[in-house]
Amino acid sequence: MATPGDIEAFRAEVREWCRAHVPAGWRAEQTGASEEAFVAFQQAWFQELRAAGYAVPHWPAEWGGGMPVARQVVLYQELAAADAPRLVLAFVSIHHAAATLVEAGNDEQRRRHLPAILDGEIWCQGFSEPEAGSDLAALRTTARREGDGYVVNGQKLWASGARHADRCLLLARTDPGAPKRKGISYFLLDMRTPGVDVRPIRNAVGESHFCEVFLDDVVIPATDLVGPEDGGWQVAQATLGAERGLTMLELAERLANGFRWLVDACRPLDDDAVADRLAGFETELTALRALCRGLVERADAGRAGPAEPSIVKLYYSELLQRLTGFGAEVLGLAAQAELAKPLSSGWESGNWALDFIGSWEWTIPGGSSEIQRTIIGERGLGLPREPAVGG
Amino acid sequence: MTTPEMDELHDELRDVARRLLAAGAPDWGRLAEVGWTGLEVPEDLGGAGVGFAEVAVVAEELGRALAAAPYLGSVVLGVGALTLAEPDPERDALLAAVASGTTRVAVALPGDGGDPPAFRLAGGRLEGEAAWVPDVAGADRLLVPAAGEDGAPVLVAVAPGAAGLAVTPVPILDATRDLATVTARGVAVEDGAAWAFAGGPAVLHRRAALAVAADGLGVAGAMLDATVAYAKVRVQFGRPIGSFQAVKHACADMLVQLSASRALVAEAAAALDAGDEGAGVAVAMAKAHAGTMAVEVAGAALQLHGGIGYTWESGVHAHLKRAMADGSLYGSPRAHRARLAARHRTATV
Repeated sequence: MATPGDIEAFRAEVREWCRAHVPAGWRAEQTGASEEAFVAFQQAWFQELRAAGYAVPHWPAEWGGGMPVARQVVLYQELAAADAPRLVLAFVSIHHAAATLVEAGNDEQRRRHLPAILDGEIWCQGFSEPEAGSDLAALRTTARREGDGYVVNGQKLWASGARHADRCLLLARTDPGAPKRKGISYFLLDMRTPGVDVRPIRNAVGESHFCEVFLDDVVIPATDLVGPEDGGWQVAQATLGAERGLTMLELAERLANGFRWLVDACRPLDDDAVADRLAGFETELTALRALCRGLVERADAGRAGPAEPSIVKLYYSELLQRLTGFGAEVLGLAAQAELAKPLSSGWESGNWALDFIGSWEWTIPGGSSEIQRTIIGERGLGLPREPAVGG
Repeated sequence: MTTPEMDELHDELRDVARRLLAAGAPDWGRLAEVGWTGLEVPEDLGGAGVGFAEVAVVAEELGRALAAAPYLGSVVLGVGALTLAEPDPERDALLAAVASGTTRVAVALPGDGGDPPAFRLAGGRLEGEAAWVPDVAGADRLLVPAAGEDGAPVLVAVAPGAAGLAVTPVPILDATRDLATVTARGVAVEDGAAWAFAGGPAVLHRRAALAVAADGLGVAGAMLDATVAYAKVRVQFGRPIGSFQAVKHACADMLVQLSASRALVAEAAAALDAGDEGAGVAVAMAKAHAGTMAVEVAGAALQLHGGIGYTWESGVHAHLKRAMADGSLYGSPRAHRARLAARHRTATV
């Protein structure tokens, strides 16, 4: 059990580490940086964090993590306060891929990939498809068993970072005859397999981290199946929300940090309406941070409510959108004259107009705000489901 | 204490409170009998010696039950004022009497502010006026925060029937709150009935604001529960209305806003109990958020109950009115935000 003294000593340690290691001027360097510069910077920063034991604190101790939750909270608070770069490229690797391997993978898969992730193996997620967005279980990509492997055909969409990825968490239908959620399997796809074709999609901000992934007779060895065949939906459910608490806590702390820049940008604050809005945002940010801490602590004690992750995701997404929108409104055309934002930053880079446009990347993916409200209503409040159309 | 440990402790208190309040609104005797008048009174004076976090749980449950009970004026403010007053045997005796229920106090803290002090003590006589003072009717002693002879804050105890003291009830739309205007014109103050009250007024105001914020959590929680229950059984177009996204999502928003307020109130209560420097800020946030939230949630409840919600009989209006009173008492959301904004003008946040 950590004492308050331990926690404060750890806080001082992280703060000192950040002072020594957060690269000066990284924002300027990452603004308008090339993809290569972004990837190199992300990989180098990941190794810096790894050397300090800060890259994967949430992993099990035997794989290089094992940091108590109370310390992880402090770590993310201090990284945010120091305006450290975010781990953007490794996000899916250290969170979703690792959770999948730890929760549902076998020993061979864990040994193969967890150390590789620490050495920089990059993962992406191949879940969504053109006809399977909010209705993920409607996915159509097929995986046909053939000999020692599966032959996969289909198209994935919104695979963030896919063009830099070594591996992909892939959902594909192994039993086309089964009900929607029953015939899906979960694979660890090697992105270098013949038949994998990645095409970046330029998003509303102008960046191209989202990709389409075309799969044409791609052969996946059976050793890359996670969990039982046709049991992929359960694996995805168990691992998707697993890390939401601490990842949201990090984002909340970063947003609170970004709020300080917004206040600075609004000075001298001689407009009472602006001052009132800022005080309202500060209040909501404080609530968000408290909600995140509560979720992390309750999840750690096995007492998190069924709707808590959705409440936090929805609250963050919509607060991010309103806060960045307010920044864009207050700073007006000057904000719109900022044509690029720094890569490797949080969702509140301080380029408020682009941040505002980018905020839809939170209200749409990962379960849109509408889907979150439905989850909150049904799982949190027990309201009846809508009558299903077509199973 | 971690969040889950705190949850567990408070769940117990909450369960007990809900059972007790199901029997109806508790009067002063009942509040004392169940130990709620002495929650924060030190154990050697007959109290339970717990903190404001527990007081806030009871406040929330009273709000949930729409209970007309003299808790805000006589416990939250009464015990708070006495605790903040400089200790002496008279004060201790009064605190013990409040814990045991033999004496009921009220505090003449204006419900619309409190700074500068509404009363002043000059030549042993009390002068001033405070509006929107809660729970004065039926109190045995009236505690009056005032500027003392030398200008320093004091807390003065007077009898509600003292010559020169007028208590004029002012009914508001929320019939569960008892508010009055207290006017003192040359009220004589007895020896030993005034205590130094340094730091008292500011903390007292925070306690009041946070207690009504907690009350608002209860009002909103009751409305959310009622709305969800109604949406599960009310059938239109052949389906329970709660299966429609328009209704379901509105209920989800009620829960989200309530959860945010709840987190802020818990943080502020912890800060108040710890005597944190930032407690004033935390309270302002909690009060600003909960004040708006409770009115919005009660309003949404009225909307989602449809025509029946607009009837007097449904009782939804009573929750809306209590939420409105909670929002206004001890500082409107806007007033609390103005307090927060003042920091943004002068210093980094």
